[in-house]
Parts: sequence; C-alpha cells; structure tokens
Amino acid sequence: MSSSFVRSVVAFCRALRARGVPVTAAESLDAVRALVAVDVSDREDVRTALRTVLAASRHDLTIFDELFEAFWHARSGIESVPSRSHVRSTRPPNADSQASRISLENWMRKGSSSDDVVQVRQASTLEASAQRDLVNLAAGDQQDIERLARRIARRMALKPSRRWRVRPRGRRIDLRRTMRSLLRTGGDAAILARRDRIIRRTRLVVLCDVSGSMELYARLLLRFIHALQNAFARVETFVFSTRLTRVTPLFRRASYAQALTAMGDRVRDFSGGTKIGEALAAFLEGWPELLDSRTVVLLLSDGWDTGDPRMVDEALQRIARRAGRIVWLNPLMGSPDFSPETRAMRAALPHVDVLASAHNVESLQALARHLVL
Amino acid sequence: MEGESYVTDRSIATAVFLASTLGKPLLVEGHPGVGKTDIAKVLARVQDTDLIRLQCYEGLDATTALYEWNYPRQLLHIKLHEAHGDDPNATEASLFSDRFLLKRPLLAAIAHKGKAPVLLIDEVDRSDEEFEAFLLEILSDFQVTIPELGTIRAEVKPLVVLTSNRSRELSEALRRRCLYLWIEYPSLEKELRIVRTKVPEANEQLAREISAFMQTLRRISLVKSPGLSETLDWAMALVALHADHLDQELVRETLGCVLKDEADLRRVAEQLDQGKLSDMIGLVA
Repeated sequence: MSSSFVRSVVAFCRALRARGVPVTAAESLDAVRALVAVDVSDREDVRTALRTVLAASRHDLTIFDELFEAFWHARSGIESVPSRSHVRSTRPPNADSQASRISLENWMRKGSSSDDVVQVRQASTLEASAQRDLVNLAAGDQQDIERLARRIARRMALKPSRRWRVRPRGRRIDLRRTMRSLLRTGGDAAILARRDRIIRRTRLVVLCDVSGSMELYARLLLRFIHALQNAFARVETFVFSTRLTRVTPLFRRASYAQALTAMGDRVRDFSGGTKIGEALAAFLEGWPELLDSRTVVLLLSDGWDTGDPRMVDEALQRIARRAGRIVWLNPLMGSPDFSPETRAMRAALPHVDVLASAHNVESLQALARHLVL
Repeated sequence: MEGESYVTDRSIATAVFLASTLGKPLLVEGHPGVGKTDIAKVLARVQDTDLIRLQCYEGLDATTALYEWNYPRQLLHIKLHEAHGDDPNATEASLFSDRFLLKRPLLAAIAHKGKAPVLLIDEVDRSDEEFEAFLLEILSDFQVTIPELGTIRAEVKPLVVLTSNRSRELSEALRRRCLYLWIEYPSLEKELRIVRTKVPEANEQLAREISAFMQTLRRISLVKSPGLSETLDWAMALVALHADHLDQELVRETLGCVLKDEADLRRVAEQLDQGKLSDMIGLVA
C-alpha cells in the first residue's frame, strides 16, 4: 500500500474527528489494515470496510457517508492520489459536501495541528445575528441559574433507589446471602455478604425548540441546561426547529458563550419554523438508547407547530412508553390567559406527565423536583 | 454464508470478513428481528467451530459470566477424603483444580482448546455499566486470573460478536474497541430471497405477497415494527395452513404472528376492513 494512500486514510480519520466522531489511533491503524485486506480498486469495498472500522454507532454512519463522498472528492482535487480511478465521485458536490470540503481544506492548510476542531461558518446573515443575540444575553440571572443547576445535578446523581443490590463493601449485611454461603461451606468460614442501596442516576434528555417564536426562552433554558451538564449530571441535549441536532458534545465546552458559538455554527436552522412531530420522530429513530425508565424527557416548546399534530401524538406516545417521565415546558404558560390550545399541544397533552412554565428563574426552581425520578 | 442459508449483503459480509481478519470484536446493532444473533450462529457453522453464548441481562455479574467454584462438589470431595482418612494437605491441593471449576461462557471461550470459537455476547445493552467495563477488560486481553489457579490466557482468540438493541447507551470505549455493523430492515428483494431460502415450501406468489405486505407494514408507523423473524414465523404459519396466496380473511386470522401490539393489530385490521389489502401487497404487482 502506497504511503500517500495511508496518508489519505489518516487524513480522513482526522476529518471524522473534526466532525465529532472520536476515531481512536487504534482505529486508524485498523482502517489501514482493513484496506490491505480488501480490494482497494473497488470504491464500494473501500467504503464498506472503512465504515465498519471507523464508525461505532448509527450516527457515525451518517456522518461517515457524508464525509466519505466529500473527502475523496476533495482529496482528488487537491493532491493527486495514486489510485485515483476508485476515488471518482458519483455525486456532484451539494451544499453539504461543499461545506465539509471547506473544513477539510482548512484542516489541511493547518498542517499537523492535530485534533482541533475546524469550525465551518455557513450561517446566513440572519442566522448569524440571532446567534449574536444569544451570546450577548444580559447575564443578570447567570449565577442564580448556575447555583440552581448544581443543586439539581447533585440530586439527580445521588438519588438512592428503594431496591438493594449486592455490594462487597455495602453498608448492610445481607443475611439471606450470608446464610446461603454458610450452607455451601457447611457452616465454616463465614463470609459476610453485604448489600447496599442502588444509586439511581437520573438521565435528562432535553429537546429544545429553537424556532423563531421560542428564541428568548430557549436562551434561558439552554443556559440552565449547559450549567446542569457541566455540574456532572447526565444530560443529553438536542435542539430542533425543522430538524433535530444533538448538541451535547458542544455543551461540553468551558463557557456558555463558546457553546453557543459552536452551536450557531453547527445548527443551521436556528430561529426557523417548527416541526415538533418530525423532530421527536427523528429523536426516536436516532437515539432510542437514551430512553429508559430512569430518563426524564424535558421538552421545551411553545407548541406553535407547522407540522402534522398526529406525528406529535404518535412520537410522544412512543417516548412515553419508554421514558420515566415527560415534562413539557411551555413558556407561554407564564401569561395568565394561557390554555394549551395549539394543535400540537392538544395532541401531546395525553402523554405529558408534567406541564410547566419556564419563563424565569423561579419557574426553573419549581421545576427541580420534576427532574429527579 | 449463503451456503448456510443466511441471506447476506455486502456490508454484513465485509464486517464479518474484517472481524475475522483483524481479530476484532464485532458490534451488531439493528431493529429487533433483523438477524443480529443469527450472524454469530451462522459464523460458527461456516467456520465449523463452537458457538459460546453469553446472554446478558440486568444484574449479570462477573461470576455468572466468568467462573464459579463448584462448592457442593468440593464439600463432597472433602467429606469423602475425610472418610478415607487422607492427608489433609493433599485434599486441599486437589480442591482447587479444573474439575471443580464451573466454566461460565467467558472463561469457556478463553480456555477453549483447538479452533477459535465464536463468542456471542447477546443483548449487551441489557447488562449494567459495571459489567460492560468488565467486558471491555476481558475483550482487550482475553485472559483471566483465578486466584487459586493462576492466569489463564486464551490460546486462540475467540471471534467475538456482540449484539445490542439500543435499549441503553453503550460506552464509547466499548464501541470504539469493536467493529461496527448496523443492519437495516431488508429491502423487498432481500426479504423475498430470505423467505424463499428459509421457507421453501411457500410458493412464489405467497412469498412475494408476504414480503410486500411486511415492507408496507414497516412503512406505517407502528408501536412495534415487525422484523424478519416475524416474516418467517408468518410464512411458516401460512404454509401450515396450506395457503397459496393472501386474502383478507387469512391475513386477519394470522396477523397475530406479525404484530405483537394490540394497538397495531387494531390499526392494521382497520386498513384491511377498508379493503386495502391489495394496496398493501401491491408492491409486487
């Protein structure tokens, strides 16, 4: 295998990392080994093999496919790859692959500055201004929010369950198991079996509507979520308007402002219309593993939906089956003459456990007890 | 693999090939009933080797998965030796030997002699996080230390297949340690080929209609979308009823083979009542 081909593979792994797929060094190595084992003159073989080695989840597959097209296309334009015959692209570069290509070019120019993420600016002027607003949020409530988040995070992480489990160094002696072990040895050499309460860790899945009508409230809640996630709680965050984007990794950044900047770059439909049902369905299809009986699903939306309310009904019903609790935060509830009249809200109500408002810090405080299962 | 009547496609074949070539565990995900577990079974048959299966469940711990000492038998052993008035030291020495060791699946796979076995770790998402961490350790070294016996190292690395239904999130570390295969629901052609292969008694028309019907069902949003195993169950049921094509009455009576949720049943039955069966199997017409 030629060294430039190896270089291509390594570069491709880096590009994957830049898109958030944490490819390990061992995997890059395996990728090269895998290509030795298959027929590299067959583009499809190369693709399937690399997919198997470099992707580790279904989401990775989507990113992989997108990048694979863009990458080999871009590579062949920038530097001549010896086995060019199988690197032909069958698809003209669309907006997406164009963007990935820019990111790749940036990365290549940077040379070997390794793992840093290349930000691709592709937001329109309108989206950019929305994002500037977000960053410049007046920070009066900031400390309150962060303190609250830490308190809730602690409760979410340390809630003891009523069930017991075997723990070698548990606080209580497990009499039944001790007796059983005595039976085995005929009464000699007693080993005390111990048990302790299971610590139930609640997981929070946040689905935040960032469409135009929600802009103000989304800022407030996302700040809260950001603080919560950074206080060691298990939080998964998604934002949606017409489509769903997972922003959990972006929120792992040091500051909220950084997280927002990254999100502004990544989320393309900030402040657009809303399709709640489709967003929920996309969540169910893409991340079902996040839902179990210890999960609280927090949905933040005003319910102004341009999609099909039947989809909201179906998707929420399926989420309700698997999740521990569904909390819908509707900031419009803050106004005295509110009633859940929108079609999406009405479709959703039968499946929602808690409907609450979230228009200020006090309402977030009231929310705390609903977030711990 | 096709020789073992497992209808495969390129991504599955590549993944299995690479798993055995690179010697890495293969993590298989996909909707229920698309044949995840069967991959391991067929692999064992193709390679003509043993299949060792570890079924995961909540609360599964290292001892149940790895090894246990056979206490009752050891006790019996001691009593027998006492009765003969044997040397206590000799008795003790013989106490912790291979014959009193109950090998659970993981140890069985590691201590396996001869040809590398296939180790199937089924529904790994059902086990706890602690067990997953333990598994990760085993999968990287393929060696176990038993205090009384010493370290047992795998002579031949078993071929490991893990399956997951995505009911829980697996750790990134485990994911990255494995090759990854996502199995999609089969296309109409693939499903048809599977029905023909697995239920050869079904005639061509029936097989086509069944496959098309299943494809349609998966497009409706149901609580529990039927997998391939449902397709095959249903095909076998229909063959047993001597059916040679689908009609409304027959579908209604046997729908329970395919749909396992009351709401789904009602929903599809409604569609049937509206005379939509011909639409639902129209894909082949």
